[in-house]
Amino acid sequence: MQTKIVSKNFEIPHANSLEVALKNGRYTSLEKLFTYQPQEVIDIIKTSNLRGKGGGGAPAGAKWQLASDFEGKKYLVVNADESEPGTFKDRQIISKDPHLLIEGIICTCYAIGANSSYIYVRGEYEEFSDILQIAIDEAYAKNILGDEAKYPVEITIHRGAGAYICGEKSALLESLEGNRGHPRLKPKSPEPEFYFGEPTLVNNVETIASVPFIIENGAEAYTAYGTDCSSGTLLFAISGHVEKAGVYEAEFGVGMWDYIQKLGGGVKNGKKLKAVIPGGASTPILPAHLVMEAKLDYENLKSLGSALGTGGMIVLDEDVSMVKALKNLLRFYHHESCGQCTPCREGTSWVDKTLDKFINKTATLQDLEVLKSVSKSMNGQTICVFAPAASGVIDGFLKHFESEFLECIV
Amino acid sequence: MSFSFNETNNLKIELLSKRYPQKKALILPLLWLAQKQEGFISEEAMVKISELSHMPYMHIYSVASFYSMFRLVKNEKKVVEVCRTLSCELNGSQVIKKHLLENYSDKYEILEVECMGACGGAPMCTLEGKYIENVTPKMLDEVLNAN
Ligand SMILES: Cc1cc2nc3c(=O)[nH]c(=O)nc-3n(C[C@H](O)[C@H](O)[C@H](O)COP(=O)(O)O)c2cc1C
Ligand code: SF4
Ligand code: FES
Repeated sequence: MQTKIVSKNFEIPHANSLEVALKNGRYTSLEKLFTYQPQEVIDIIKTSNLRGKGGGGAPAGAKWQLASDFEGKKYLVVNADESEPGTFKDRQIISKDPHLLIEGIICTCYAIGANSSYIYVRGEYEEFSDILQIAIDEAYAKNILGDEAKYPVEITIHRGAGAYICGEKSALLESLEGNRGHPRLKPKSPEPEFYFGEPTLVNNVETIASVPFIIENGAEAYTAYGTDCSSGTLLFAISGHVEKAGVYEAEFGVGMWDYIQKLGGGVKNGKKLKAVIPGGASTPILPAHLVMEAKLDYENLKSLGSALGTGGMIVLDEDVSMVKALKNLLRFYHHESCGQCTPCREGTSWVDKTLDKFINKTATLQDLEVLKSVSKSMNGQTICVFAPAASGVIDGFLKHFESEFLECIV
Repeated sequence: MSFSFNETNNLKIELLSKRYPQKKALILPLLWLAQKQEGFISEEAMVKISELSHMPYMHIYSVASFYSMFRLVKNEKKVVEVCRTLSCELNGSQVIKKHLLENYSDKYEILEVECMGACGGAPMCTLEGKYIENVTPKMLDEVLNAN
């Protein structure tokens, strides 16, 4: 059931060292790369239908084009903030096959005409970014990176310092400029991001790590996997109440329940399934009966009222209190709101506090109305999609498990 | 008391300065270097960073206080962080937290934190930043008593 494209070298001992990496196919895509014109590379990525793997699933090729169309200096920024609860896939790439990421960065910089790149790694990942730094140093020493390289690329690791919101691309760029991590207002029409005013492409670690396979094997080799709209594979992660939590790469479109049983080892301790949060904490929860029909691709999960997100599934067994689970998540949102927008700052705080009443079984019907109306107020009037995502989380729990909330009402 | 970066860090700063288009972008890297050097970020260190990044002191302070990993006060105890987010809670983070608070709060500073990206190894905690996954009370006893 596993399809190993990005994770191909994960099991190979010391694949993080340049020597072992070279023996196992790293940097071979570069030969092919330099036979193409940059625009041809972008066209290949467009044809491959590669979609961003940081949660949104935006087509990568179109974003590359936006950045490439600008003249002059530009940047590539790789998003390794990975702070979405339930998500722990980028960390595997960084620590097990860092040269794959470096190779992907070189391909991407060449395509868009950038020579400088930054990898923004969440601060907590120090052990893993140290491994990545060693790989980068090795690549510099062998002129794979730096001024002497065939196509000169600089890579600088920039360490975050503990703020979930810095994963949002404009907040990330603020942080990279030396500011607080506050998301920026979004432009009306499509345009690239800007770093100190220069056009900048922001992509997730796994997106960039998927590029070498496509360059080497062609777009069709990639679209051969997955579904029509969701091409290729994803490093799905699975955690919570499962026997074999971990990260296993699979094609888009596989059955969620199948995945949970075959790769996740089934629900822990032989318990029954109650629900799954399908793609990181910010995606609406699916009750067991929908899990049975769910497929792991963008379109199917959307049609079920949720989203594929980062592909990080959190499995909940029959004994879980949905009230407690929602409280856990809202405490997270309350803690992580950057505080710029009133509906988000006040809303997450209010819902977090109101949920205490449900936990203590002192809630009233009016409190349930408060949850609903505050959730509504958080949707659509904020600078970034953090607040609407939190709203979707609340609504998902109330839609499928309202009875458990009603049981807490005096 | 004034603050200065040590020699190794000055070399690093020189290298880093070439990597960013503006000095202001050095703020986070410099805050990290200061924290590594002294164990926390002192006011004097922020004054120094203000000079090096050509930004007002208040900006440095505002940035340093935004990020939860920057410590603005000196910490005498070693830090143990326990993740409290959903995958860890479902796998018993409460038991881990209780065990830590009951047995180790005099020797260690016990902090609850949000998801550390180790949900596959839940429950998890860190000791001085190093990850300990699939942690049990027994493992904690072994690791913390040895430290
Ligand atoms: C609140 C919030 C947190 C996010 N966190 C991350 C993250 O940790 N990593 C990531 O790659 N993208 C994250 N994103 C998505 C980024 O804004 C951006 O869309 C992504 O990095 C683009 O790369 P991709 O197109 O390759 O996915 C987050 C978005 C939001 C709104
Ligand atoms: S929605 Fe929330 S996290 Fe996003 S900018 Fe507004 S306050 Fe910050
Ligand atoms: S929930 Fe604890 S590491 Fe993710």
